Amino acid sequence: MAGLTMRGLHKRYGETHVLKGIDLEVDNGEYLVLVGPSGCGKSTLLRCLAGLEEISEGDLLIGERRVNDVLPGKRNVAMVFQSYALYPHLTVRQNMGFALKIAKRPTAEIDAAVDKVAEQLELVPLLDRLPGQLSGGQRQRVAMGRAIVRQPDVFLFDEPLSNLDASLRSHMRVELKRLHRRLETTIVHVTHDQVEALTLATRIMVLNLGVVQQVGPPRELFNRPANTFVAQFIGSPSMNILPAQGDEKGIVVDGVDGAIEHHARGPIELGVRPTDFEVTDDGVWSANVDVIERLGAEALLHLELGPHKISVMVNEPTPIEMGQTIRLQPRVLHAFNRDTGVRIPEPAGATS
Amino acid sequence: MSRVKSLSVALGLCLAAAGAVHAQDAAPVELKLWHAYRDSEEQALLEAARVYKEQTGVQVTPIGIAFGAYSSKVETAVPRGNGPDLLIGAHDVLSKWQRLGVVEPAGEDSTAYRAGAGAALELEGKRYGYPLAFKTLVLLYNPELIQDPPTDTDALLAAAKAHTGGGSFGLAYEATAAYYFAPWMHGFGAKISGDDVHLDSPELIAALAFARRVGMDEGIVPKSPTSELMGSLFDEGKAAFVISGPWFAAGRKRAIAAIPLPTVSQTGLPALPFLGVEGVFVAGQAKHPGEAAKFAAWLAGPEGAAIRQELGGQAVAAKDAPPLPDTLETSVIRAVLAQAETAILMPTDPQLPNVWEALEDALRKVMRGAATPEEAAKGAEQYRKVLSRPPPEAANPVPYVVIMVLVGLGALVWLCLPLRDPNVRQEIKNKKVDYLWVFPAAVAMLALVVVPFVAGAAVSLFAHSQGEWTFVGFSNFLNIVLSRDWPVTSPLSFYYTLVVTILWTLTNVFLHVSIGMGLALVLREPWIRLRGVWRALLIVPWAVPNYITALIWKMMFHVQYGAINALLGFGGEPAQIDWFSSFSMAFSANLITNTWLGFPFMMVVTLGALQAIPRDLEEAAELDGAGAWFRFRHVTWPLLKPALLPALVIGSVWTFNMFNVIYLVSGGQPDSSTEILISEAYRWAFKRDLRYGYAAAYAVLIFGVLFVYGRAANKLAGKKVL
Amino acid sequence: MRQPSQSRLILTHVGLVVFTALTLYPVLWVFRLALESDAGLGGGLLPIPRDVTLDNFRNVLGTTDSHGWLFGKQLFNSIFVSVLTALMGLVLSATAAYSLSRWDFPGRNRAIGAFLVTQMFPGVVMLIPIYILLDKVGLLDSLLGLALVYSTTSVPFSVWMLKGYFDTIPRALEEAAALDGCTRFQTFFTVILPLAKPALAVVALFSFMTAWNEFILAATLMGDARSYTLPVVLNGYVDEYGADWGAFAAGAIIVSLPVMALFFALQRYFVEGLTAGSVKG
Repeated sequence: MAGLTMRGLHKRYGETHVLKGIDLEVDNGEYLVLVGPSGCGKSTLLRCLAGLEEISEGDLLIGERRVNDVLPGKRNVAMVFQSYALYPHLTVRQNMGFALKIAKRPTAEIDAAVDKVAEQLELVPLLDRLPGQLSGGQRQRVAMGRAIVRQPDVFLFDEPLSNLDASLRSHMRVELKRLHRRLETTIVHVTHDQVEALTLATRIMVLNLGVVQQVGPPRELFNRPANTFVAQFIGSPSMNILPAQGDEKGIVVDGVDGAIEHHARGPIELGVRPTDFEVTDDGVWSANVDVIERLGAEALLHLELGPHKISVMVNEPTPIEMGQTIRLQPRVLHAFNRDTGVRIPEPAGATS
Repeated sequence: MSRVKSLSVALGLCLAAAGAVHAQDAAPVELKLWHAYRDSEEQALLEAARVYKEQTGVQVTPIGIAFGAYSSKVETAVPRGNGPDLLIGAHDVLSKWQRLGVVEPAGEDSTAYRAGAGAALELEGKRYGYPLAFKTLVLLYNPELIQDPPTDTDALLAAAKAHTGGGSFGLAYEATAAYYFAPWMHGFGAKISGDDVHLDSPELIAALAFARRVGMDEGIVPKSPTSELMGSLFDEGKAAFVISGPWFAAGRKRAIAAIPLPTVSQTGLPALPFLGVEGVFVAGQAKHPGEAAKFAAWLAGPEGAAIRQELGGQAVAAKDAPPLPDTLETSVIRAVLAQAETAILMPTDPQLPNVWEALEDALRKVMRGAATPEEAAKGAEQYRKVLSRPPPEAANPVPYVVIMVLVGLGALVWLCLPLRDPNVRQEIKNKKVDYLWVFPAAVAMLALVVVPFVAGAAVSLFAHSQGEWTFVGFSNFLNIVLSRDWPVTSPLSFYYTLVVTILWTLTNVFLHVSIGMGLALVLREPWIRLRGVWRALLIVPWAVPNYITALIWKMMFHVQYGAINALLGFGGEPAQIDWFSSFSMAFSANLITNTWLGFPFMMVVTLGALQAIPRDLEEAAELDGAGAWFRFRHVTWPLLKPALLPALVIGSVWTFNMFNVIYLVSGGQPDSSTEILISEAYRWAFKRDLRYGYAAAYAVLIFGVLFVYGRAANKLAGKKVL
Repeated sequence: MRQPSQSRLILTHVGLVVFTALTLYPVLWVFRLALESDAGLGGGLLPIPRDVTLDNFRNVLGTTDSHGWLFGKQLFNSIFVSVLTALMGLVLSATAAYSLSRWDFPGRNRAIGAFLVTQMFPGVVMLIPIYILLDKVGLLDSLLGLALVYSTTSVPFSVWMLKGYFDTIPRALEEAAALDGCTRFQTFFTVILPLAKPALAVVALFSFMTAWNEFILAATLMGDARSYTLPVVLNGYVDEYGADWGAFAAGAIIVSLPVMALFFALQRYFVEGLTAGSVKG
């Protein structure tokens, strides 16, 4: 078991600059989730960690060892692929024992290791089947099992849950959490699903266009997003971002009446999560209800706030009807620099 | 006198004993003998070798080589020192063999042989080889049907007519072959060798008219007679007369007799066939030339002759061969020996192959009724002149060498252009290992495919004539591309053949794809019973080697006895389609054969491609009320197309160069009109006067056409057109 | 799809029977000729032998020379050359195809193009240069030399097909193997080749057939009857001097049977092996 160190990692394909200097220390036993939209470079970073892509510049250390030029098979990392990449011509048992067999371990040792993991993952009845005879969920577990058997220093997960249906996915999230607790091995997990990131990670790294946007525990990313990108990417439904002006009287959203007290000054982007509103007759904003999405326990209101469209989450049952005009009070405000999108820090001692 | 004789005998014995001791000391001598004999002649040769070993202890190993491959094998192997000690061949190849160094002089007097035999093997005053046997045509007949064989053609025709009918034929011979036409030609006083040859002479026209009468008009000769057909007709008692040689008599299942050919009644001249004198030669670079010469003399001498006469049925050239009793069994040999005395020695004139080609062309036209004897003779003279034109002027190789070197350097520079980019150089360095994986295949291809092709293509800059090579630059190409030798519309012009080749490729590919796809569409229906069985049976044509099936098809297309015509008679009288007498029919015969050979490949490819197409798309179209054709045209076909396209391109390249079918089925008949480029090139290289340079230029042009086609197909495929 | 009407069902099957009968007709003729004592032309429509004898087979199989069983030696030559051709063809084409399918190195596209271009060379002019070449390196009249020439003639098609098939194998499998500690060679042998079995089978069969059916090169390059392969022998039965159709047909059956057996055995691979590549283009 070991941690990971990335120092100024760059990846270029000819003219295309995919990773633009990644610096990060991952402690032993951390569950790091790499998240970002497609094309942000998260998969490339993972493949660099695995050794499937060459690193153009910078250093990568696993534990204390610099592994830039170490072959993938010699890094002692295990990877679970999005497609699982099970060897179709080998049985589940052979798949799981493949790496040990390549390492020329004695057969008895391989069998013992496979049996142990198969038991943990409830794969014992499937051991003699071929991957083609398994369901999607079973294949996913076999792919996990194959990674675990190797007892690697680091697990690399490349969107391992994206091919599962919704219920199985939430079940596997719990399984993964349990697995991490039991194995206490460093895990790097790539996903585009922020729910997966929030539920699984001990730390999240948000990437966009090859640049790290923010790294931190899920709660910190949710509560104090470092910029508008992170703010909109983390949390569902997505945060409302409105152009606004701040001065001594408070913040006024462009084209909307009503000032809210805040320390930010000048032109800013104002962020409010849909869950951070209160519908109250003495609310500072007045908005027209366009559409209501009823989700069961809650309802998502799509509102017209002056020239802007915002969404607001309220508890059900609610008396609000479409076409109605309601008054709102935002409770938690996030202010960002309008030019750079960077969060305007709270004055010392203030709470969000 | 007797003492001297006995002394010399004793000396000879001593020498022989010394030789034997010596031979035991060293490795025993083994003489290799190449020949193209078959059946009884081969048996006789083996027996002779056995007897010789008993007498002298020298092992002679006769090695039979297929007749078709014999001369090319001898001419490539022997000059390079890979040949045997001894060769058997006929006198008419001697001059070529001598030039190539295939044979050694014999140096022995010719008095031991019958008249003319020794002289036939002489060249520039030296004799090469030892005469073995005469080969010539005689009039063979079935003695059960014919008691009093005719001595002139009128009587022959009358007798033949009397024995024609009810599936029987009065006379069987290969009426369209020049060799069998030669007796009529001589009987009318025409000649085809010497200084002053004219194929449009009145004598030759008369001979052509007579050949037409005998071969066609009288209705006494079976159509398209091949030697095996004549053999089975004779064996069944359905042929009264046969014009053929001693080889025909070997292995007959019925009594056979022969006399020399009759005189031509119209002229009173004898119908004289050509005479071939076969000899055994000491090969150039033989391992044991001395021993070989001894065996050759023995084989040609009385002892060998006795065996060959007795077992092999040969008309031997040795004077001292055992006399033949006047019986029915020896009748054929005696007739051949008698005929040999008057027959005309096959000329060794270097122009002969050209005359031969032109003559045969005219003969076939006349027999088919495509031309009158006058027209055919005129055409033949024209053709002969073109064929006998001297090779193009020698060119100065220097400018060509310069051009070639420049082109080669240019290509090299073009190949290396990407190397200017340092990134590319770095990448090549980084990916050295990747190249190693392609390396074995690339080297093998380079050595065994690319280099031979380039070497072969380089020959196109030379002209070959009578063993002489002249550098002629692009003359071969210019002659072909400008169609200098014949009008563009002649079957011998490059453009005519190109059009035929394209037509051939298009029709074939169309039929392969439509039949293959039709079957695949049917066979994937789930309600078809025994699907596996049909599929297995329908790929059989692909599994059987195509040279086998091509020959079987050729046989099935025979005009009188072929199964196809029987089939087309629908149970009644067989149809009378002469498949190889017109372009359209001969082309169809080729096409039918190749379609049969080619559709299984397309069927299998389509079956595979169909597996990847979800059926629900077609079902959706069906629900929308689309008919079967509409569904195919607008749903199935667009989905199949991308998968079939590569198979289509590679299939068309194969068809373009499908030599076997053309060569074996129609053989280019009639008049080379069904020849495709590749078979035309082959004919120039090996059949018409060995014009290797001309053939190589053809090959380069074929490659050029295919290359352009390949580029175009790529472009089309890229745009998903077709 | 739904069941077609009764009449369409019957018509389709009748059509299939007729078409299959026509397809097999020439092949049945081969059998007739092989079984008849007096094989030749004539005898009309049906490929039913007039009499049945095994003499033709006995004659073909029983040829001997001073060294012993000649046919056996020639059969051995054919098998040896064909198996060697298939093996060498596989090694040459599989390595090249894998590299061309997987790695993007400078010159790769040109290499693919070059392999296909060699398919367009007309063989007519190559015979004598090949002879001289083999003579120079001492491989003339050797079964190894013959197999080498054959294997290169089948390489372009094999590379093309195998590359198409390799293209369909997901790269993730190789990456998984790399992470599992495989070298390139180990990946190739333990992962890729087992997965490409259908295509390898088809390619091997095609190379085998090239060698098994060829006679022009064999007749030129091989020295004597003892080193001939079966097609050369077979071709000798029907040449310009006359034809022994019975022996030819019997030989044809003997030559064709192994190929047919292989075809049927490998049939299930055919559809997959031939088209997996072309579906992807």
